[in-house]
Amino acid sequence: MGREVSESCVESLMTEIVSSYCNHLYANKPELAARRIEAIGYQVGHQLSERYTMDRPRFSDHLEAIKFICKDFWTELFKKQIDNLKTNHRGTFVLQDNQFNWLSHMSIEPSSQNSGSVQDPSTMAESKAAQATGMYLYFPCGIIRGALSNLGIPCAVSADISNLPACSFVIRIKA
Amino acid sequence: MIVCVAVVGHQNNPLYIQSFTEADDALKLHHIVHCSLDVVDERVNNPKKSGPTLNETFLGLLYPTENYKVYGYLTNTKVKFILVTTDLDVRDADVRNFFRRFHSAYVDAVSNPFHVPGKKITSRTFAERVSNIVKSFGLSSTG
Repeated sequence: MGREVSESCVESLMTEIVSSYCNHLYANKPELAARRIEAIGYQVGHQLSERYTMDRPRFSDHLEAIKFICKDFWTELFKKQIDNLKTNHRGTFVLQDNQFNWLSHMSIEPSSQNSGSVQDPSTMAESKAAQATGMYLYFPCGIIRGALSNLGIPCAVSADISNLPACSFVIRIKA
Repeated sequence: MIVCVAVVGHQNNPLYIQSFTEADDALKLHHIVHCSLDVVDERVNNPKKSGPTLNETFLGLLYPTENYKVYGYLTNTKVKFILVTTDLDVRDADVRNFFRRFHSAYVDAVSNPFHVPGKKITSRTFAERVSNIVKSFGLSSTG
């Protein structure tokens, strides 16, 4: 029990998944690539939630399930809890991780900063950075969606990286 | 002796059902398992009746029939485990222990990347593990 996985291996694998889907398999269809990556995450989340909920009583409502994701599930994945949880009490939850592990070791390719010739280089680089990191967030989004769906909560999950390295996941529960 | 075990998915779709009898009564046992699903639903939707076992995965004795006792277990992911036994005095702890091992075998089986969620479990390793668990249940309750 409690087998450990090398962090750097997971990060390398993640990077490779994203690059092979975006640059080789679906080079011209970023949306399709995103969907495929999200689907892999979904399966992972689906299976992990089965394992991590083994020894606990059933959740009585959505909030309890979300709390489980924030605390125990996140601890299993990233060795830390979600830092901030917000909700509008109408099915939308925002989970904020102030130092998201899978992004904290990434930096933007320097060449992308030189290519901004027409636009202001800094905004150009920023939007490119956002686009590039966005791709890496479909996998964790899929994990959250897979885990919640398996717990009987159909939802849509998106990520927001307006202030890196903090990262927010927005969960919208489908009524 | 355990005569039948079953895993039932969240839409009441059978994922795995296995009887352990010599006689040709699989159909009867399947029927018993089928009936127990209603009892599980009732327990979950009317939590008052079940009292202190509220939200616990182990649902306890679902219903006794003339010759069998049927126990249930419901996971967080709404997967049901059903156990049919002919033993008349079964210790709760034994059943709990059985379900815990059964559940972990199930988790290992569905964590196989080639397993399709919601489809029947065809893994031979899983079948073997389950039959081992069933055998050891007999030992611990008689001895």
